[in-house]
Amino acid sequence: MAGRQRPRRLDRNIAYFDEPPERRPPITEVGPVAWVRANLFGSALDMALTLLGALFLIGMISFLLTWSIGTANWYSITFNLRLFLVGRVEPFMDPRITFLFLFIAVLAGVNFAAWSRIHLRLWAILAAVLLALFIIPWLIAGAIPLPLTWLAAGQREVTSGSITASPVERVAFIAGADEEIVFRLVTPADDAELARLNSFSDGMSNTLRNAAANRLASEQRLVTVERELAGDSLTGRQRAAREAELENTAVPPPVHTSYEVGAYPVSLILRSGDTDAEIFNGTIAPGAEMRLTLPRDGWYVLEKRVPDNDDSIALLSASGLYPVFDRSFIREGERVFQYMRATDRLLVEGGRPRDAGGADLPMLGIIDHQYRGERPLADFLSLMLGPFLDQLNLGLALFTAVMAAAYFASRWLERRDSDQEVPLRRLRRAAVWLWLVTIPLAFLLIIGVSSGPFLTLSDPQLWGGLLLTLVLTVVALVVAFPIGILLALGRRSTLPVVSAASTLYIEVFRGVPLITLLFMSMLLVQFVLPSLSGPDNAPYRVMVALILFSAAYLAEDVRGGLQSLPTGQVEAARALGLPGWRITLHITLPQALRAVIPALVGQFISLFKDTSLVTIVGLIDLTGVANLIASQTEFQGLRRETYIFIAIIYFIFSSVMSNVSRRIEASGSGAARA
Amino acid sequence: MASADSQPMSQGTTISQMDEEPIIICRDMNKWFGEFHVLRDINVSVAPQEVVVIIGPSGSGKSTLIRCINRLEEHQEGQILVDGMELGHDVRNIAAIRREIGMVFQQFNLFPHLTAIQNITLAPIRVRHRPRAEVEDDAMQLLERVGIPEQAHKYPGQLSGGQQQRVAIARALAMEPKIMLFDEPTSALDPEMIKEVLDVMKELALSGMTMLVVTHEMGFAREVADRVLFMDEGRIVEQGEPEHFFERAQHPRTKLFLSQIL
Repeated sequence: MAGRQRPRRLDRNIAYFDEPPERRPPITEVGPVAWVRANLFGSALDMALTLLGALFLIGMISFLLTWSIGTANWYSITFNLRLFLVGRVEPFMDPRITFLFLFIAVLAGVNFAAWSRIHLRLWAILAAVLLALFIIPWLIAGAIPLPLTWLAAGQREVTSGSITASPVERVAFIAGADEEIVFRLVTPADDAELARLNSFSDGMSNTLRNAAANRLASEQRLVTVERELAGDSLTGRQRAAREAELENTAVPPPVHTSYEVGAYPVSLILRSGDTDAEIFNGTIAPGAEMRLTLPRDGWYVLEKRVPDNDDSIALLSASGLYPVFDRSFIREGERVFQYMRATDRLLVEGGRPRDAGGADLPMLGIIDHQYRGERPLADFLSLMLGPFLDQLNLGLALFTAVMAAAYFASRWLERRDSDQEVPLRRLRRAAVWLWLVTIPLAFLLIIGVSSGPFLTLSDPQLWGGLLLTLVLTVVALVVAFPIGILLALGRRSTLPVVSAASTLYIEVFRGVPLITLLFMSMLLVQFVLPSLSGPDNAPYRVMVALILFSAAYLAEDVRGGLQSLPTGQVEAARALGLPGWRITLHITLPQALRAVIPALVGQFISLFKDTSLVTIVGLIDLTGVANLIASQTEFQGLRRETYIFIAIIYFIFSSVMSNVSRRIEASGSGAARA
Repeated sequence: MASADSQPMSQGTTISQMDEEPIIICRDMNKWFGEFHVLRDINVSVAPQEVVVIIGPSGSGKSTLIRCINRLEEHQEGQILVDGMELGHDVRNIAAIRREIGMVFQQFNLFPHLTAIQNITLAPIRVRHRPRAEVEDDAMQLLERVGIPEQAHKYPGQLSGGQQQRVAIARALAMEPKIMLFDEPTSALDPEMIKEVLDVMKELALSGMTMLVVTHEMGFAREVADRVLFMDEGRIVEQGEPEHFFERAQHPRTKLFLSQIL
């Protein structure tokens, strides 16, 4: 490398430098190891924080993973996905909502093309992910068999602690045509095997399992206590306590022998659920297996007995026999009962089998036949992940495909005549216009226009789930935003009446909690706008409250932006002879709004989340759906799963919004400010 | 102009260098900021095509004086007439007078969310309601006149200070004003950029524009001005043609000021 240039001396007082040679910057790029060392282990404190953070992160993730794979029951999500997304809207809304969904995909595609670039590599990754969403469920279904269902037979009760389970001889279930059911009579070798029976199980086999597990636990405890007593690490008092414990604990005899589990053959009778006609009648010997093929879709009744011994409990594993969700609703004036198999959504309507007295037979309902015990990964995949992805993949794939089509089409059109002075100007105009079209279109599709067959009016009372959340957010935003701007301008007006009125409005609505406003609007709006009375207009009344509330906050955000402008801007505009309203329209507002984009988006996000408060006045938005599901007996104890799911949905939407705002801030003239 | 009798200007005398009807007349103008008397009995007339340079120490009211002329500040006593129209509370008069007057600010005050050419075309389109295509052609000519046609589609934040000030001059000229006010147009510029702005202003003066210039550029005043006003404590202390003013100033305050800056 050439050395630094020495100044060339002309005489004693002046020197000058030759043109220096081109030099490349020194190489400062470093590998990941150096990065980690510099950024994560720079100092002792840094190191401690890094380790602490890593420990915390690993702990959290492993806890969440083990919980969601091993313990959590995600049925409440897969079974209710439609409720989460659109609530109880009428079936005729489905094509309209689908169309709107795809239109938004077009909007997204055009906007991406206009404002940012999506790298081809990213498209490839997206495509791969979507493909995986189709392949993974298919692979899971092909490779991993569904878990078994455990059924007990016998004439005696089974006790574990204070729980006693009575025998159920006849149980009803639903199945499809040509399905094969495989029964096996299990003879467990010891209690440990019995305690490991994870899966769907009826009350009796579950109690049997618990009894075995409890017995093993107390056996283990006694061993521990004896070991402690043999050592000399205990204080006198502890020793006394241990001795008392030893005295009081009695280990029951082994469960599998005391109930003679699986020692005697079981007689099975399979009947048609409708006609009670016998389809099959046979006996399974211990350890033997029996295969039955079913003739048609519908209800079946299984009779199981241990004919040879009244004290023995038989444990049957069954594949092809799974618990169901049941629900009922009014359709055209009549109550309809639906039963849906938990594992594959096989649906049977009505016709539930009854006994001779006319009472409903016990059935394999999800309430009594939940999955019990620690769930292995295979069961998580086949029961939870596969079906969930199967429900999502088509919608996501359609959305992405339409978005990609719109993206590449608009880029192609843009490139075809690229002789514009300002690149992308036309495409950007088109993108803005598309936004202006989308919002009225959305309202048209969701609300409807006529009572006839074309765009039939939908019942607002039935809007729910994510749909209602988004409708409330978008309406509140679109209407509140201009009002907020007017209020902000009004508050800065030189006319005392206007500024006092605006200030009063803003202060009043910022001073009242949203919940109070929601209650007030439910009761008061109808006095001002009688057309909004009645329960079916509740969403509209709530919108009024949300609009009034967010207008006040948006006004303060916009006012902040207006105040941050240097006075020179207005002076320059006035010196050019622009009238006041044009100064506002062309000079102050555009700059003020751009300056407060982060605050505005923050307001949008908090409005989006605040819509969850409408649950309190009886609307069933996303949070409302979660509450509704958590209160159903079928999904008892599944609150955590339900709320985690809606938290994820809220998070996804909020992070998309803040991401978009970061892009807006970084793009275009906003970045090129003086 | 009584340049020969070498007396400091007495207050209350209206002066005009040329025989034509003056385009700007200030009569006994006074202004206060709260209790502070910022302009005292200002009497100035400016003839068409005259270039008047206003100098003086900071806080002497130079900027306030020219800001009163296009009503960015309101005077409280006396009279201001621009092109025969009185500047009062009549909003139509204010609008009409502002259309006659272009102004260039120390801090440029370009609109940062608009490109250079949009900055220039905004007012002609929105105030004069001229067709956009025509205005854009004129704007490009103006940008050529100030020497930066290639920067037309850049945002102010992407331009140097000198370029921004030249866009600001073009923006003011786009309204085809009869009078241009310059409020310390070079004070916020790096020394290397001052010349490019002064050159544009010189060219403008030669083309016959009526100009009121608040500046500390004595070279510019000497070379271009028809008349130099010296202000101190809200008063016009002394005025005269530049060669007279810089060589033979009479008032002790003027002499002190000139001795400190020259």
